[in-house]
Amino acid sequence: MRRSGLPLLVVTSLLFGDVTSAATRPRYGGTLKVAMRAAPTSLDPADSSQPESFARRNLSGLIFDTLVVLDDQGRPQPALASSWKSEPGSQRWQFYLRPGVTFHDGTALSSGTVAASLRTANSKWKIFSAGEGIVIECDAPAPNLPVELAMARYGIAKRDGAKLTGSGAFSIAHWDPGKRLTLTARDDYWGGRAFVDSIEIELGKSLHEQMISLDLGKLDLIEVASDQAQRAMTEGRRIDTSSPAELMALVFATDRHSSGDLQQRETLALSIDRTSLSVVLLQGGADPADGLLPNWMTGYAFLFSTDMDVSRMQPEHGNPRQMSPWTLSYDATDPVARLVAERIALNARDAGLTLQPTNSVNADLRLVRIPLASLDARIALTNLATSLNLAQPTFNGDSANDLYVAERTLLQSRQVIPLLHLRFASALEGSVRNWNTDREGGWRLQDVWLGTGKP
Amino acid sequence: MSFRSRLLAGFALTVFVSVAAVTLIVSAVTRRAFERANDERTTALVAQFQHAFNRRGEEVVQRVEAVAASEVSTRIALNLNRNAPNYAAYLSEAKSLADSQKLDFLELADSDGTIISSAQWPAKFGYHELFSLTGPVPKDAFLRQEDLPTGPALGLSAIRKVDVGDKSLYVIGGRRLDKNFMASLELPNGMRAMLYQKLSEEKAGAAVSPQYLIDPSGTLQQPDRVAPLIEQVLKTRQETTAIVHWSSDASDDESVHAIPLGGQDNQILAVLILGSSRRSVVELQQHIRSAAILAAGVGITLAIMFSRWTAARVTRPVEQLADAAREIAAGNWNTKVPVTSSDELGALAKSFNRMTGELLEHKEQLLKAERVAAWRELARRLAHELKNPMFPLQLTVENLIRARQQTPEQFEEVFQESSSTLLAEISNLKTIVSRFSEFSRMPQPQFQSVQINHIVQNVARLLQAQLQSGNRIPVECKLELSRAPQPIAADPDLLYRAVSNLAFNALDAMPEGGSLTLRTRDGANGVLVEISDTGIGLSADERERLFTPYYTSKADGTGLGLAIVQSIVSDHGGRISVRSQPGQGTTFVIELPRNLDKLPVTGLIQTEYEAKM
Repeated sequence: MRRSGLPLLVVTSLLFGDVTSAATRPRYGGTLKVAMRAAPTSLDPADSSQPESFARRNLSGLIFDTLVVLDDQGRPQPALASSWKSEPGSQRWQFYLRPGVTFHDGTALSSGTVAASLRTANSKWKIFSAGEGIVIECDAPAPNLPVELAMARYGIAKRDGAKLTGSGAFSIAHWDPGKRLTLTARDDYWGGRAFVDSIEIELGKSLHEQMISLDLGKLDLIEVASDQAQRAMTEGRRIDTSSPAELMALVFATDRHSSGDLQQRETLALSIDRTSLSVVLLQGGADPADGLLPNWMTGYAFLFSTDMDVSRMQPEHGNPRQMSPWTLSYDATDPVARLVAERIALNARDAGLTLQPTNSVNADLRLVRIPLASLDARIALTNLATSLNLAQPTFNGDSANDLYVAERTLLQSRQVIPLLHLRFASALEGSVRNWNTDREGGWRLQDVWLGTGKP
Repeated sequence: MSFRSRLLAGFALTVFVSVAAVTLIVSAVTRRAFERANDERTTALVAQFQHAFNRRGEEVVQRVEAVAASEVSTRIALNLNRNAPNYAAYLSEAKSLADSQKLDFLELADSDGTIISSAQWPAKFGYHELFSLTGPVPKDAFLRQEDLPTGPALGLSAIRKVDVGDKSLYVIGGRRLDKNFMASLELPNGMRAMLYQKLSEEKAGAAVSPQYLIDPSGTLQQPDRVAPLIEQVLKTRQETTAIVHWSSDASDDESVHAIPLGGQDNQILAVLILGSSRRSVVELQQHIRSAAILAAGVGITLAIMFSRWTAARVTRPVEQLADAAREIAAGNWNTKVPVTSSDELGALAKSFNRMTGELLEHKEQLLKAERVAAWRELARRLAHELKNPMFPLQLTVENLIRARQQTPEQFEEVFQESSSTLLAEISNLKTIVSRFSEFSRMPQPQFQSVQINHIVQNVARLLQAQLQSGNRIPVECKLELSRAPQPIAADPDLLYRAVSNLAFNALDAMPEGGSLTLRTRDGANGVLVEISDTGIGLSADERERLFTPYYTSKADGTGLGLAIVQSIVSDHGGRISVRSQPGQGTTFVIELPRNLDKLPVTGLIQTEYEAKM
C-alpha cells in the first residue's frame, strides 16, 4: 500500500519498524529499469499518428492523468475529475475538477487547460470550461462518456508549443524519442508519491534482448512474448500475464464482392484450427477467439463458436472455386505472426483455398494484433471497429444483447475473422514488489517499490 | 586470256585448292581433337562434380544421423511411446536441431508420418509427411521435394529412424538445393553448375519455368539458351551434352552437360547442368586458325610468285615461237627462235627454225618461179599488145611499097592514107608503152593527214561532171559519208586515183544504167571506203583473178587498173576486197588504217590535200 508521503514513512519506520519485517514493507527510492519492444517517437496521448499499443498506453498513464480511471470491473472512478453528472439524454456532461492538482511545471490544473487538451483529443465534441469544471457536449447520446474518458488518449496534457506537460505521477526527466525515456517521481503528486524515485525505460528493444538483459540483472521489468510466457515460467522466471486483452484477427482488404466470395471467407473462417494456434503456436499464451471481444469481457463470446468443421468447408460440398490465390500479409518482425500465418495457410489448403503468406503490405488479407482499448466492451468494440476499418457498431440499447447484436453484425460482414485473444505477459526481477496490473494488462508502476532479494 | 595467264591461273587455283583442302583437313582434325579433349575434360569435371555432390549427400546423412542420435530425438521418441504427441512442447525442437546441424530442412515424424516438429515449416505440426515412410529407410541421401510456406523447394535429404519402444521417430533432414548450395560446391576453374528444379507446382507439359533455373548467383540469366536442353533431358530422361552460345562472342560459349536427377520414386526432380567454359578452347582454336590463315596467306603468296616465275619460264619459249610466227606472218622470213633447252620446247624451237628455213627456201623458189612467170606474162602481154598495132603497120608499109609501082597520083593517095594509119598505130603503140611505163613507175605514198570524206566527195564531183556530159546512160550517184570520220595518214593523190579508178570501173559495169554509191565508215582501226554499183556483177572466177596484173574483162582494158588500185591500198597498209554476184552488182571495200605514226613529226595534222583541192 502506498503511503501518502515520505516523512510519514520515515517516522513510522523509525518508531515501529523491526529488522525482520523490513523486506516486506514498502520502500521508497531506487530506479526501476524497464524495457519495451515498441519505440514510440511521441508521448502525446492525443497523437493519432502513433499506433495504439500496450506500451504506449502504459507510458502515457505514468505521465498524463485522465479525468476518470476504471476499476477492475470497468467502472469509472474519479481521477482528475472528482465527480461528474449528465443531463437527461446523456449528450451533455459536466465534470468537476479535483482541486489542488498541479502539472509537472507547478502550474495548477485549470478547466481551460483540460478543455483544450480534450479538444485536441476529440474535435467532434464541444468542450468548454464552466467554473471549476468542464462541460462536454456530444452530437449523440453518450452514456459511457466517463468510461471513454478513461482511455489513455484522453490523458490531460498542457501544450506549450511542442512541449508537453502532464500531471501524472512521473515527470519526464529525459526523452530520446524511440530510444529511451527517463521518468522522475513527483513528490507533490495528488495521488501520493510513487515508491520508486525514477523509471528508466529502454525503447525498441527486442524481446530476446530484453530477456537476456533481465537474466543479466540489467532490467527489472520486461515484456514477454505471449508464446514465450509459459516457457519462461517453466524456466523459473517470474512471469505475470494479463487476461486475454489483444485481438489477433484476419482482416480482408476489400469488401466481399459476391456470394461466392462470402462463402470462401466463411470457409476460411471455419478451416482455421484456433486451438492449435493457441495451444501450440502461442504455447497457451492466447485463447481461441470466436468473437472480437474476449469472453471474460462480454460473457457471450462462446455463441460465436467457429470450431473447425471439416464437413462444412470441403469444396465438393458446393463451395465455389477460388478464382485466384489470396495473399496474407503479416508483421515480419513478429515471429508468432509468421507462424500463425503459415498455419492458417495450411488450414486453408485443407479447405481447398490457397493462401500465400507474404511480407508485402498490399495483400488480400492482413494478420493484425489490436489491443483492447478499454475495459468497457462497447468502447473496446468501437475502437476495434475503427482500427479494423469496419463500420462503426450500432448499439440499440445498453443490454448485453444489444452488444451481442452489434458484434455479430460486424462479424457477419466477413471483413474480419477473429483468431485469438492474446495475453500480455511481463517478466519481473525478484526485487520488484507490489506488482499489480490492470485486468487488460496495463502496468501500475506507481505502486511498485523495489526490495532486495526475492519476494 | 594469254597462255601464261591461264597457266598462272591454273597454278594458283591448284595451290589454292591444295592449301584450302589442307586447311580444312587440318581444321577438321584439330576441331575433332579439341572436341575430344573438351569431352574428356567435361567428363572429368562431371565426375568431379558428382564426387562433390555425393560428398554433400554424405554430409547430409551424417548430420541427419547426428540428429537421430541426439538426446532430444531419443526423448521425443520415448514420449511418443508414452503419450500422444505434445506439439506445443516440440514446436521449436526441429528448428533448434536443424540449426545445430546446419540443416535447411528437418522434420520429426512419427510412424504414421505425422509431423511432430518441422524446422522449415513449424506450423505444419500434426500434418502428414508427403513422403512415404513405409518400407526400408534409404541408406544414402536422395533428392526430395520439400513443401515450404513459400512454395515447393528441392532438397538433398536423408532419413534416419529412431527406434525406441514400439513407436519409431523418423528424422528427415536435408539441405536445400538453392544458389547457396550451388555456390558451396567446389568446382574446378572454368566450370559452373546450374540447376533446374522440376517442382510439382509446375504444370505438366509446360515449358521450362525460368524462375526454377538457378545458378550460384541466383536466377539464371538468359534461361532460354538452355531451356531446349532441359526439355530434351526431361523428355528422354538421359544425359545430354550440347554447346550453348551465350553471346555472339564464341569465347563465351559453354560446353553444357545436362544430367537428370531423380528422387526415390525415379521421378525426375531436377536437371543438373554443368557448364564448362570453352574460352580456352576457343582462344586456342582462334590462335591456330589465325596461324593457319597467316601460313596459308604466305603460302599462297609464295605459290603465286613461284607460279609466275615458273609460268614465265615455261611460256617464254612458247612466246618466242609465237613472236617468231608473227614476224614470219609479217614477212620477216629470216626470223629464228633461240634454242635454250633440250626438252620438248627446245625440239619445237629447232623444228620451227627448220620449218622457217624450208619455208624461206620454198618462198625464194616460188618467187623465182613467179618472177619468171611474170616476165613471161609481161612478154606475152607486151607481145600481144604490140602485135596488134604491128600488123596494120606491116600492111600499111607493104601497101606503100606496092603503091610506088602505081601512078604518082595513086601513090599520093595511098601515101596520105597510109601515113595517117601509121601515125595512128604509132600513137597506139606509144599509149601502150606509156601505160606499161606508168605501171612500172608507181610512186611511194607521201603521207599526210587526210579526211577520207573529202577524197570521196572530190571523186563524186568528177563523176557528176562525167555523167552530165555527152549522151551518157543515166547513172545515179549517191554519197553515204560518215558524219565525223577520224583523219588518217595517207597520200591524197594516190587515194584519189584508187577511188576514182574503182568508180569509173563501176560506171563501165553499168552499161544499162544503175546506181553508184560511194560510202565511208569508221572502222575499228581505221576507215572503210565502199564503192557499190548495181551493174552486171562478177563471177567467182572473175573475182578470183580480178587483181591479177594485166587481167581485164573489158575489151579495151590493159588489166592494170585494179592492180594499181591494189598496189596503192597495199602501200597504205590497207586491204581491198570485193563482194559481188553476177547480175547483182559489185561492191569494192577499201580498209585503210589510220597510219598516224607515219605522219611527219610536226605534231600537227595537216590538211594540205584539202587546201589543194
